[in-house]
Amino acid sequence: MATERGTIESFGHVSRTAGTVFRYLLLAATLFGIVALTVLLIYVANDAIRPLTADPGWHLTFLLTLVLPTLAVGAYLFRTDPASFRFGGAIVGTLAVSTMFAGGVAMLFVDIVEPVTWFAYVLALCLALGGVVVIERLDRRLPFLVRFVAAGVIVLVSLLVVPGAVTSLPVYPSDGVLLTLSVGAPIALVVGRYVAAADGRRRRVAAVVATLVVVGLGAFVGPLVGVTPVPATVVLAVAVVPTGGYAIGRIRRNPERRAGLGLAAVILGGTVVGAVAVDALGFAGPQSWVDWGFLTSAHSGTAANAGLYPAIGGSILLMVTVAALSFPLGVGAAVYLEEYAPDNRLTRFIDVNISNLAGVPSVVYGLLGLGVFVTYLGQSTGTVLIGGATLALLILPIVIISAREALRSVPDSMRQASYGMGATRWQTIKNVVLPRAFPGILTGTILALGRAIGETAPLIMIGAPNVLFSLPTALSSKVSAMPLQVYAWASLFASEPFYQAAVPAGVVVLLIVLLSMNSIAIVLRNKYQSDQ
Amino acid sequence: MTDNQKQEYAADESTDDPTTDDMAIRTDVSESVSASGPTTSGAPVVRAENVDVWYNDDQALQDISLEIPENQVTAMIGPSGCGKSTFLRCINRMNDMIDAARVEGDLHLRGKNVYDDDVDPVALRRRVGMVFQSPNPFPKSIYDNVAYGLKIQNKDGDYDEIVENSLKRAALWDEVKDQLDTSGLDLSGGQQQRLCIARAIAPDPEVILMDEPASALDPVATSKIEDLISELAEEYTVVIVTHNMQQAARISNKTAVFLTGGELVEFDDTEKIFENPDSQRVEDYITGKFG
Ligand SMILES: Nc1ncnc2c1ncn2[C@@H]1O[C@H](COP(=O)(O)OP(=O)(O)O)[C@@H](O)[C@H]1O
Ligand SMILES: [Mg+2]
Repeated sequence: MATERGTIESFGHVSRTAGTVFRYLLLAATLFGIVALTVLLIYVANDAIRPLTADPGWHLTFLLTLVLPTLAVGAYLFRTDPASFRFGGAIVGTLAVSTMFAGGVAMLFVDIVEPVTWFAYVLALCLALGGVVVIERLDRRLPFLVRFVAAGVIVLVSLLVVPGAVTSLPVYPSDGVLLTLSVGAPIALVVGRYVAAADGRRRRVAAVVATLVVVGLGAFVGPLVGVTPVPATVVLAVAVVPTGGYAIGRIRRNPERRAGLGLAAVILGGTVVGAVAVDALGFAGPQSWVDWGFLTSAHSGTAANAGLYPAIGGSILLMVTVAALSFPLGVGAAVYLEEYAPDNRLTRFIDVNISNLAGVPSVVYGLLGLGVFVTYLGQSTGTVLIGGATLALLILPIVIISAREALRSVPDSMRQASYGMGATRWQTIKNVVLPRAFPGILTGTILALGRAIGETAPLIMIGAPNVLFSLPTALSSKVSAMPLQVYAWASLFASEPFYQAAVPAGVVVLLIVLLSMNSIAIVLRNKYQSDQ
Repeated sequence: MTDNQKQEYAADESTDDPTTDDMAIRTDVSESVSASGPTTSGAPVVRAENVDVWYNDDQALQDISLEIPENQVTAMIGPSGCGKSTFLRCINRMNDMIDAARVEGDLHLRGKNVYDDDVDPVALRRRVGMVFQSPNPFPKSIYDNVAYGLKIQNKDGDYDEIVENSLKRAALWDEVKDQLDTSGLDLSGGQQQRLCIARAIAPDPEVILMDEPASALDPVATSKIEDLISELAEEYTVVIVTHNMQQAARISNKTAVFLTGGELVEFDDTEKIFENPDSQRVEDYITGKFG
């Protein structure tokens, strides 16, 4: 067909009006969400921290020592050397989060577990693991069952006998020494592993010794400057060593990011100088409801004196229990469903139901916990154990789902490669699938724990006390938790002073803990994704 | 290869998988060896007899019979979907892993039918190395990648030495000897594939199966792999699937031509196949008239 084809005068127009309207509607929705959340957070933080109650001189001092230098150095670095900028930020962030974490751990050793008990259990665990490793190494030719039984005997004996034997010794070293060994040594080993992987095996010894020395300093030098050995060792082991190790390792690998240290120094130095300066000049800081007293004292009838300490400790213990229960159960179920289970109707039925369970309201889990643990198993109400178990049930479906997600993201070509080498299914899972999926599993578990730490309803259902004046010291002690304490202030003690002081302060502490948990998870996930 | 080694692929006690014991070989291996004659050089390492494979109800391979000689490169060519990979996976029973797959017929590896009831596929795969289409090193260090087979098989010996030798034979040692601790994933695609070859040869297998090992690589990396394969044939029996006819012509001693429908149309010396094939269909395929 011969069509007449001349020159084209115009291509015409295609309307984009609908698309444009849609685009701006979406923008509005996004902005609305972000702005609403920001306003809410600022509002609560303002109520809790009350920055406007500080002397203007206080603000001015920190403006000069901290804010302006940070802005100047930060902006300069951000424009000339973004990698260093991020590195500097990461140091400060790591230090902040790990110091918080160290606070929780110190609480554990000050009020919950005697350092010697902890030491005894760590020692028992080390002996058990050492025995298992020795058996693995010595006699590969022994039948699997014999090795399994021998390992089991060693584990049982050391776990059952050693703790009792150690704690019944008439004399033992000071708390500082015990913690240096039982907290410092495991951390030194982890540091050693990293150093060996990054810098070769020879540097490992140096790194391990350096770590032990730094932690040990806390035990001996701490008391000289007025810090008791326990918090000193813990802060050094849990906050300073990891942050320092991270900074040193990064600089060894990317010396060009040194400038980031400058940013960190400006922020940390500015904080210290500012604090000294306001003290010397006599400027009063803000009359924040979130202060040392709030963090370290128990509930009180007067709002201004009420504190969150037992609830923080309770939340920590609950989280430890929840993690200890839900991680092995959830990951175990996920590995089974993903790697072993045949694809049949039963599996699909379980699949659908796990997803459904993830959406069941938490109050239902509370009822379940009450029914199963209290009524049926005869436990007393409101203890750490049943609180932890109930919350573990609550997040179990989430842990399973996210762990399966992580396992599914391991490419099948890795499994094929392993099977092709003649690996059994178990060897493939242990050596290839789990190591590769582990960061993803960990991320999912932390996010799930974040959900558990904010739950109130299940704890109310299982009869956790609203007000507790001391930390729980055993699995069978009554436990309170941060959200529960806040709820109690807002309901039982409902009055203007509590609304104005204790409630926002409690909410802010809860939010900070939650957000830092989530940020750990996000950092892990990013690192994991960039490693692939 | 000694008789002793042959026994190993069916009865490997060093594995920690309890199922292995149940499936250990119970027949007398020397008997089946004498049945197929002494295993001198030149005797077939793999002998397929009337192998059929189905995926559910679709037949992917029809009545395949061929013999793969020792210490030579045998190439499998043919249009895609004609069953080359399927045949390769029959040799180390990787098809067992595909639920839909069903294999019939006999396939002997050094005289032992790998589809006998008493053969443990896991033990079998320890005697057969496999290299896949796209490089798939483990997210572990280069050293641990190469040592993987040794570790899971609990092999004795100096791992450092075996790792070094395997990397040398895979022509990768000079490029990575200073960075054995770094991740295998940090290497380039061609290096990764040579790492996978080193990983496959470290446990000293009877046969190395390669499924289009160069198809995901650039021309330079491809020619390195091709050189490497020719060298490997001095010590190993190599079976390689390729859809690249020039590649088959360059590196193989024998060539099997599969055509659509899963039949083996012709199997002969590579020169014969490319210069004077018996079958008109093969000639058409080689000269590019179809496929
Ligand atoms: N896992 C599988 N499930 C079902 N059918 C398959 C599977 N793998 C391969 N097939 C089928 O078997 C035939 C041969 O495939 P394959 O061996 O991969 O061919 P080639 O490697 O020669 O390209 C194709 O028709 C393909 O669709
Ligand atoms: Mg293929």
